[in-house]
Amino acid sequence: MSDTSAVKERPKHLKHYFVDSDQQFEASKMGMWVFLVTEILFFGGLFAAYIVYRAWYPDLYLQASTELDTFWGTVNTAVLIGSSLTVAMAIRSAQLNQIKGLIINLWITISLACVFMMIKYFEYTHKFHKGIFPGEYYTYEGIAHEKANIFFSIYYMMTGLHGVHVIIGIGLMLFLVYKAKKGAFSSEYYTPVEITGLYWHLVDVIWIFLFPLLYLID
Amino acid sequence: MSGHHISSSKFLWAIGSALFFLTFLTVAVTWYHIPSPWNVIVAIGIASLKAMIVISFFMNLWWDTKFNAMLFVTSIIFFGLLIGITLLDTLFRTDPVPAF
Repeated sequence: MSDTSAVKERPKHLKHYFVDSDQQFEASKMGMWVFLVTEILFFGGLFAAYIVYRAWYPDLYLQASTELDTFWGTVNTAVLIGSSLTVAMAIRSAQLNQIKGLIINLWITISLACVFMMIKYFEYTHKFHKGIFPGEYYTYEGIAHEKANIFFSIYYMMTGLHGVHVIIGIGLMLFLVYKAKKGAFSSEYYTPVEITGLYWHLVDVIWIFLFPLLYLID
Repeated sequence: MSGHHISSSKFLWAIGSALFFLTFLTVAVTWYHIPSPWNVIVAIGIASLKAMIVISFFMNLWWDTKFNAMLFVTSIIFFGLLIGITLLDTLFRTDPVPAF
């Protein structure tokens, strides 16, 4: 009995209740997918509201979406897809034990996320100046539809919740940079990078649907 | 850690380029003013294709365990139920437009 697991050297990142690193990694990843399922259904409620009101007021959506700037919506879509690419590159760097590449790719991703939020900020303030607020605070006269505020309530809820996710993602990736600089990650252990990547890709997927549904109604 | 799928950077760039192209395509089709309801179907079709590319090759579901794929598919089925059952109500009301 002298060569049982008690004597075997276990890596520092490995929790005692897992058999090995692979089992721990797979368990974390499955947990993240379960969380992403709840996220899909979380946004699903808002998509349901969008669909119900679009079926009720198809003209409203046609008129109101002209207030959204397709150009900046397209730029933001490209920015998010670019950031998804750099996150995938960051995970690849971690898998290949290239910690410097990991940190650089994370910084590029954080910058792209900030560009996204900056464009969103200018889009929001532009609308606020015109009096386009959600719900009862709506005062804009430019759309000849009595329910114009409803479109923008849905717009602000969907893009706002998405924006909150982007901000949380920026925070998570700053934390990853901090941990990576302290040498926490290697090709043997990069689970936080992997599951933050999964989260970030899902935020990208949500925007892939928001963009045509809100900006591209012609 | 042997079992992990590592994509080459060439492959990741190819996937990214495909997504950029489809983004351009989804904007370009609006210039042709496809009649309703096909404009919505085309827009959602392209978005779904993009989402499947991201989920398969950036989120690595293509190479992942079938269990994780099942989790994702289940979420889509339940989303469909949410939409379907809600529309069974809201589309068939005799007094369709509420006060809100």
